[in-house]
Amino acid sequence: MFDFTIHALKTSLNLRTLKHNILCSNISNENTPGYQAKKVEFETQLRDALHLENRLPKFGTHTDHFIFTQLDAIHPNVYEDPYGNPSLNGNTVNRTAEMAELTENQLLYETSLELLKKKISLLKYAISEGERSH
Amino acid sequence: MDFFSSMRVSTSALNAHLVQLNSITSNLANTKTTRGAHSGPYLKKEVIFSAQVDRENFAEILENEFDEHVQGVQVIEIIENPKHLQKVYEPNHPDADSQGYITLPGINPVEEIANLITCQRSYEANVTALEASKSMYTKTLMVIG
Repeated sequence: MFDFTIHALKTSLNLRTLKHNILCSNISNENTPGYQAKKVEFETQLRDALHLENRLPKFGTHTDHFIFTQLDAIHPNVYEDPYGNPSLNGNTVNRTAEMAELTENQLLYETSLELLKKKISLLKYAISEGERSH
Repeated sequence: MDFFSSMRVSTSALNAHLVQLNSITSNLANTKTTRGAHSGPYLKKEVIFSAQVDRENFAEILENEFDEHVQGVQVIEIIENPKHLQKVYEPNHPDADSQGYITLPGINPVEEIANLITCQRSYEANVTALEASKSMYTKTLMVIG
């Protein structure tokens, strides 16, 4: 019942939550001496997983096999920004960039959320037999 | 790893910046104070920030490998810095020494105002981040309804 799209949306929401937390952490430490801004990278992996998923056979070779999706293999990279420009106190947080990323991430999170709502409302529609009244 | 952790992180930054704001206003108010809380003139207060890993309890240490990257900020020390003290020749001042010099805190108001603006902007950035967390969390709740 819960198909691949819902699984993909769930993965996307989880990863965006992680990114949101890291961005909040960067913003809160913009005045901390020596703090290195952190970046999260998962978009490429997510795109590849979605791409691969469509190419791989949907069913296993045997009925007893579990079907693992490519989404489970996504492992986000959290790393210190190597291109950060350190200020006098050694801090590499760029407030403008972080705020822009925060907004972007928030919008993308809410987009995934809206899509999830749509999927769930479709399921509800099917469950209630198209809101058929007796 | 949830929205409460990002909210805690943003709140820690709000608290830290409030402490910094207090020390800046205190410094600005005391640019000419020759008698501080201790004997001698007022000493310029400097706030030291330090990044702290956000953890609610011990169990969280084992929970998630990314938790160590989510760091809040904490004021670990408020230094009363005597390096800025300045000697000014004012023989008629009641606190003047035998050579006619008084010791002032040596606070540069321009520097303090610049710090004040930076502090205010950081505070606002954190409020925005907190509001983003709140909005995302509320909208997630709406999926159920």
